[in-house]
Amino acid sequence: MLRLKVKLALFNLFSKLAVTAIFIIFMPYLIGRINLRQIDNDLIKKREEVISIISEIGIEPFIEADSTDTFGNYNILKEEFISIEPNLTGDEINQIDVSKRLIDDDIIEYRVLSYSLVINGKSYILEVGKSLESISQTNKNIRNVMLIFLFFIITVTFLTDFQYTRRLLRPLDFIINKIKTIATPSTYDRTKIKTSTTDFVRLDETLTELMDRIEKLFAKEKEIAVNISHELMTPLSVLRSKLENIMLTENLEPEIEVKIEECLKTLYRLQSLINSLLLIERIESRQYLRNDTFQLRDVLHEIIEELSPIATDAGININHQLPEPLEIHNANRSLIFSMFYNVINNAIKNTGKGGVINVESIPDKNTFTVCISDTGKGMTEEQMKNLFTRFKNGTKNRDNSTGIGLAITKTIADFHDILIRVESQPGKGTKFYFIFSKNS
Amino acid sequence: MNVLIVEDEKSLAREIASFLEKENFLCELAFTGMEASEKIAVNLYDFVLLDLGLPDYDGLDLIKEAKKLESEASFIIITARGAVEDKVRGLNLGADDYIAKPFSLLELLSRINAVARRKFNIGTNDINIGKFLLQVQPRKLFCEGKEVDLTRKEFDLLQYLVLNHDKVLTRQQLYEHIWRNTLDDQYDSNFIDVHIKNLRKKLNFYSATPWLETVRGVGYRVIMENKNSTSQKC
Repeated sequence: MLRLKVKLALFNLFSKLAVTAIFIIFMPYLIGRINLRQIDNDLIKKREEVISIISEIGIEPFIEADSTDTFGNYNILKEEFISIEPNLTGDEINQIDVSKRLIDDDIIEYRVLSYSLVINGKSYILEVGKSLESISQTNKNIRNVMLIFLFFIITVTFLTDFQYTRRLLRPLDFIINKIKTIATPSTYDRTKIKTSTTDFVRLDETLTELMDRIEKLFAKEKEIAVNISHELMTPLSVLRSKLENIMLTENLEPEIEVKIEECLKTLYRLQSLINSLLLIERIESRQYLRNDTFQLRDVLHEIIEELSPIATDAGININHQLPEPLEIHNANRSLIFSMFYNVINNAIKNTGKGGVINVESIPDKNTFTVCISDTGKGMTEEQMKNLFTRFKNGTKNRDNSTGIGLAITKTIADFHDILIRVESQPGKGTKFYFIFSKNS
Repeated sequence: MNVLIVEDEKSLAREIASFLEKENFLCELAFTGMEASEKIAVNLYDFVLLDLGLPDYDGLDLIKEAKKLESEASFIIITARGAVEDKVRGLNLGADDYIAKPFSLLELLSRINAVARRKFNIGTNDINIGKFLLQVQPRKLFCEGKEVDLTRKEFDLLQYLVLNHDKVLTRQQLYEHIWRNTLDDQYDSNFIDVHIKNLRKKLNFYSATPWLETVRGVGYRVIMENKNSTSQKC
């Protein structure tokens, strides 16, 4: 996985290198061709010069009649030569090619222009040659200059491209940050991003639209929850009032009293169930504010104080070691209270006489962990899987329990971005870890 | 005291009225917002029990109207909407308390009495039970001049039972009253039993408590010998 700007930069670099490689492969050939053309033109120019000299002063100064009728002239470094000799075959020749010549025991490759000319009825061949050694030297020089130039160009364009794409993609980073930092759609930053790229403007607009839509859906969900609660709570209230009024009748038969109390108990279970579901619903649709600042230690002390009579009665010892204070910001104190309360209360229920419950804090570099452990009956892996699932955690059939307490705990933890980890073994007790991130 | 019950569920309104009348309140009923609005404008009430979910009226508007008329009535909001904003809005508008459906009639009475005590500045009255003396304000319990040390929950429990003397209170009713500030009601009947047990232990150290009865299968009851001297009614 790579960032977009890195990918673009890499692609950019590779494509540049590929084009350069192709260029480097074909460069010698191209440069050779260009040089050859240059030399050929040069040779033709020289030929014309020689011809014009001959037509001025005649061919005689070049040819010594007594000997072999040939003329040859080299410059000192044997880079060029001019020769005139009789044309023995009498063919008309006008060509340029490469041939090797032996000059003073050196075999040198020349580009040679051969041209037949007729002077005073006699046919001669004029040859003008130029050494290829000088050409290859030029080739090399040109290539070196080109390579340095290419390297320079690639470096400069790569850097400017990279900077440009970075600049170009900056709105994307900005949009990602905007999404990352929101807790709910209603807090989404709706100010338009500053960019001249249409795609980003569209992305930004689409996201804003999406947030609006999600917000509307949340509102709708909230409305449904409110409606259900209203619809169910009023009939429950009627039943409850009627039953309580009967209960207050003087001289009621004890049996009837017990039956009414049982009815009330059932009614209460129903009420508590609906309330718990609504609580989860409300937390999930983020109706609770997260604007309390408090000491975590105080909340835990409060819970322990509240539950210690129950624990003492059940013969359970609650130990707490909370030396490290941790101030919690942007949280809902009542919800955090419920979150821990349910777990500690659960621990009491699941631990027998003589058991121990430990509440400890474990500070770390980036996290702060609260560990609640008991010496109770523990859980199998199967039980742990459904621990936070409503009505499925095996407590449902127990007296008065709605099987929803831990689901509430989990919902509250999620709402506050608190991580929960559970360790448990049957017969060996259970450990709940609540991991708070320090920077939140 | 005069109470106006504003509730569109007629059967609930009547049930509340029948309960409060036994407690010597004078009750009138309004089933719609219009009806309530008229009654508040014409009559003087000490209390208005106001259901927020009226079909024709935003219940909170009734509070605004009443405040405009400079009505002396105290408002107790009854709502099936447990939403936090409703509660905050209602209390901001000047409602005196807030109770969520389905509520216990005894809890409603206790809220009314608490508001009445604040409003008419009564509540310094002491209550005698057996050899004990319970002071509602400041929350203290004495036995023959010696103070009995109780936890906050134990005191709440005892006070609620004493104020509702001669009525059987179920464990749920007691639990709801004492733990009413917690968000989720993970009710456990054991909680009340444990606290009553501890309470009895503490009280019996000073004097026997035959007046604190366990009603088998139902709940608990405080029996008063002298009913007239401890009346809480206004």
